[in-house]
Amino acid sequence: MRPLLLLASAAALAAQPTVTFLRDVAPILNKTGCTSGPCHGAAKGKNGFKLSLRGYDPQFDYEALLYDLSGRRFNRADPGRSLMLAKPSQQVAHGGGLRFEKDSEYYKVIYNWIARGVPYGDPAKDAVAAVEVEPKEIAMARPGEAAQVKVIARYADGQTRDVTREATVESNVPDVAKVDLSAKVSGERTGEATMLVRYQGKFSTIPVTILNPKPGFVWKAAAQNNYIDMHIDAKLQRLRIQPAPLADDATFLRRVTLDLTGQLPTPDEVRAFLADTTPTRLKRSKMIDKLIARPAYTDYWTIKWGDLLQSSRKYLGEKGTFAFREWIRESIAANKPYDKMVRELLTSRGSSYEDPAANFFRVTREPKPTMEKTTQVFLGVRMVCAQCHDHPFERWTQNQYYQMAAFFSAVGLRPGYEVGEEIVYDQRADYDMKHPKDSRVVPPQFLVASAAPVPIPNDDRRRDALATWLASKQNPFFAKAIANRVWSYFFGKGIIDPVDDIRASNPPVNPALLDALTKDLTDHNFDLQHLMRTIVNSRTYQAAITTNEWNETDGDNFSHAIPRRMGAEALMDGVASAAGARPNFPEVPEETTATQLPDPHVGKDGFLDLFGRPSRESACECERRADLSLPQALNLVNGRTISDAVADSKGRVAKLILAGKNDAAIVEELYLAALSRLPNKAEAERGQKYLSGGTRAVRSQDLLWALLNSKGFLYIY
Amino acid sequence: MLNIPGRPGQTCEGPTRRELMRIGSLGLAGLHLPGFFLSQQAAKAANLQEKYRGARGFGNAKNVIMIFLQGGPSHIDIWDPKPGAPANIRGEFKPIKTKIPGTWIGEHMPMMANAIDKATLIRSMSYTPNGLFNHTAAIYQMLTGYPPDKVSPSGQLEPPTPADFPTAGSHISKMIKMTEPVLPFVELPRPLQESGIIGKGGAAGFLGKAYDPYRMYQDPAEPIKLEDLSLRKEIPPERLKDRFELLKGINQSMPELEKALNAAAVDEYYGKAYDLVLSGKARDAMDLTKETDKMRERYGLHTFGQSVLMSRRLIEAGTKFVQVNWPSVANGDPEKTAWDTHAANFGPLKNLHCPKLDRALSALLEDMDSRGLLKETLVVAIGEFGRSPRMGVSTSGNSNSPDGRDHWPYCYSAVVAGAGIGRGVQYGESDATASSPKEKPVHPNDLLATLYYALGIDPEMEIRNHLNQPRELVKGKIVTDLFA
Repeated sequence: MRPLLLLASAAALAAQPTVTFLRDVAPILNKTGCTSGPCHGAAKGKNGFKLSLRGYDPQFDYEALLYDLSGRRFNRADPGRSLMLAKPSQQVAHGGGLRFEKDSEYYKVIYNWIARGVPYGDPAKDAVAAVEVEPKEIAMARPGEAAQVKVIARYADGQTRDVTREATVESNVPDVAKVDLSAKVSGERTGEATMLVRYQGKFSTIPVTILNPKPGFVWKAAAQNNYIDMHIDAKLQRLRIQPAPLADDATFLRRVTLDLTGQLPTPDEVRAFLADTTPTRLKRSKMIDKLIARPAYTDYWTIKWGDLLQSSRKYLGEKGTFAFREWIRESIAANKPYDKMVRELLTSRGSSYEDPAANFFRVTREPKPTMEKTTQVFLGVRMVCAQCHDHPFERWTQNQYYQMAAFFSAVGLRPGYEVGEEIVYDQRADYDMKHPKDSRVVPPQFLVASAAPVPIPNDDRRRDALATWLASKQNPFFAKAIANRVWSYFFGKGIIDPVDDIRASNPPVNPALLDALTKDLTDHNFDLQHLMRTIVNSRTYQAAITTNEWNETDGDNFSHAIPRRMGAEALMDGVASAAGARPNFPEVPEETTATQLPDPHVGKDGFLDLFGRPSRESACECERRADLSLPQALNLVNGRTISDAVADSKGRVAKLILAGKNDAAIVEELYLAALSRLPNKAEAERGQKYLSGGTRAVRSQDLLWALLNSKGFLYIY
Repeated sequence: MLNIPGRPGQTCEGPTRRELMRIGSLGLAGLHLPGFFLSQQAAKAANLQEKYRGARGFGNAKNVIMIFLQGGPSHIDIWDPKPGAPANIRGEFKPIKTKIPGTWIGEHMPMMANAIDKATLIRSMSYTPNGLFNHTAAIYQMLTGYPPDKVSPSGQLEPPTPADFPTAGSHISKMIKMTEPVLPFVELPRPLQESGIIGKGGAAGFLGKAYDPYRMYQDPAEPIKLEDLSLRKEIPPERLKDRFELLKGINQSMPELEKALNAAAVDEYYGKAYDLVLSGKARDAMDLTKETDKMRERYGLHTFGQSVLMSRRLIEAGTKFVQVNWPSVANGDPEKTAWDTHAANFGPLKNLHCPKLDRALSALLEDMDSRGLLKETLVVAIGEFGRSPRMGVSTSGNSNSPDGRDHWPYCYSAVVAGAGIGRGVQYGESDATASSPKEKPVHPNDLLATLYYALGIDPEMEIRNHLNQPRELVKGKIVTDLFA
């Protein structure tokens, strides 16, 4: 075998103090962009020459250089005539243009390497073991300051080298802190950023903080409702950010009712809450308990989990979808501990009708997609990149991808006895996972070792071991991922964001807070209702959207609420309930709300899809969209949903008119129904004036139309 | 039903001119993107101008008409005749001279033989599919610039998903700012389709449904209804104006929310929606009764001809991207409407398809040219592939009649015109049997890259897919030689 021979001879050469591919040449290929995605790192290479993406597989790259084109890339007698030098220095035409000059240091290194017989190097000595950075963190007193980063590579043989020039340093928020090619970081504006440092597949991060230099900041302590506020305040105080005050009662009630149940509070509920004289904190806390106990809570979170588990008749058939949805519903209604719920999914087997959790496997069907879904949904880790190459910004390797997929390699599906029924079973033979590169059998292995070791049986029941490892308190990702995900549902973004892309290069904005939430969740045996209750009871959640001079530029540290567009189902249900119109979906019982629909098949291509209801094609949180666009505005302004609802002959406006209510009462009722608050004096006057300016029924419809089209309706704030 | 007295119902004709003047426009004027975005856009535009400075054709186009002949027209019978080839290849049709010296086309395209002096005929379109041979896979490749990963030759078709690469019109309507109160991206007369799969390769994919085309889904040769673009009967313009005044007041009385949503451009979208409904420009653009009978006849009194005519009206009104699909499902019956001539080739081409295409496409080129619209509009007429030069053989796994032709992506033809594209030019050449390009092959990605480039969009720009992975807008070579 050629590679072996080659390694032997390369090792012999590497004994001399010399340049090697591993230590000296490969970093140049990465730095000058040869191995990048648009160039030779592309899946099919470029112009017939392929290198591994970002050089993750140096041996492959070495062999590609050596053997492709029968070695024409090297001319050892006259290294300068080697294609490997002539092309990038543009001595001959190169599609990728000039990568380095003929008199550059890089040219010389490669020249010497060719002259000495292109030694590969010894992975036990020349591979990079770790990347170290100086300084470990950067704090700037004001924007405009700068700091030089130094990157040191530590090799397997213990030697070190300054590789600042060859390393890649990137900022995750360049408009806060940017970094130039010489690794100098400059502060652009107040805030935080992370520098991601990469060198030869190893990486490190440097947190950067740029303080607000404005004089006169005095921290005004606000009441803390629980540990969440403590961790938030600690960070805010350090960054010189003053949090917003509590939102008023009406705003709080609307926000928390929408966030916990996906429904608007009714006018009577708003009135009662405003009239209740119980001290604020207690009053709100009691309301939270009431909301969590409502059936609408179960409906709403059934939608969320239906999205993530892709409950859809496209994959499961009609009966299967109803069974799976019912299983999800019951889990939520009973507040089943989250770890138990996940274990039930991962270890489900048998008939999809008898054990509806087994539908989990019917969506993705194959070991690899099942593994990708499992890691993304339950661990917040995206393994998909590692199927084809080592993850570019994470430590996950291609090997790990197949090791993890191997846990599901024995899962089989076969038709059951009834129509649409499938049996999930564990195959007895031929279930080994094979590596695509050399077809070797890859045994299952956990992504990271657990504090409490879990033995892996090398048989067809291996996925049971995965369930034990994955849904455990000791798993460093499992509880953290769900704590972060649940947080994002109440704030519009995660402490790590995107929530299903957790990696070292995507750090949490408040690690102490995330750790505390995680610990609280495991201390309470994965009680998700406890987690939600804790979150919405915090002052942080209950803060107003108002900003002050100290927090107006902060969008990351939860110092004030940020408006979020209502989700598709909540929006549609909100229009119906505010207008007193009855929802009318095909194929489902009368008065089924959008939040109660079984799957995205019902009402397909209508209002809900236009407003970003997930079609459940993937387990990605990103499927649900919350943007606003022209077609949406067109629909709200001129489409049927709002226009028909406000003119409904049995709707709220019709009833108010028929009951003979006066203008003041109509205006108040419509504000309560649509915006969940009383109109202020000016609004009441303006509303009444409008009503008196024409036919009251027509004018009342107009007012309701305008309220439903207002930002105060479309957004949760 | 509660009886609502008040104004008499308005018809779909919309407001009168006088009413419009009274109400005025409240949408586009006074609404703006926040300064931050503007400066970013300006910086990007400056870099791009620098990158392509002096390059031929860059930024020439303001809008695009994509005439997408789904089904796969037979290039050898229509655009690229080979009279010297063996009988089982050359087929029944005779070549005729065109206005391009030395370039002959099929005898059933006489009007295009004349109108080709306004266009470039590309005879070297070519790509090798990734083992996939059905229409949907090919359409997806053609219009998104990426090969589909889940469409198999066995007919296992995958419907559109939010993970799909966006179709060209979606990218373009997202990137180019609208100046007129019209729809940015319109698809006529119906979406792309193969069997039960509708819209694959013609949707916004990971850009989100908001950037899907406006799909008319009606036959422009018949009277059409446009409810969503017309003011509702019970809402005359005055009432819509009243409603917007109310809305403005309600929004203004929540100043903290207004401030927090400053960057969300809500008012901008509402302003546009208002203008769109009220101005009636988009609706008017689709009203073919405003054309003379003579003009309508010139384009052809059939679904395709009237769709092509409507595309010209939409472009005139300010739409950025109009896609006219051949109004038959891609794998439909060739004896009726489809280009998919496995079972019968010459009869349908001669009697049905070519006369329609010949009439409508020549009318469009002549009409656009005489109106000066061809200067800023890129017109492309192409299918997802051509058809096998040898008759009666199976290349896709379908069965073919002795005179039928199967799918053939390795070599086919396209007509491109406008925005500085060469006039009366043939680009590229096929081999003796029209089986593969003899010179200057143009991959569909190259054509897409050229299209983006013509619009002033960098084809190499980075986009982020549904997993937030960086991808190129399209991996293709800009064919600058297409520009005169």
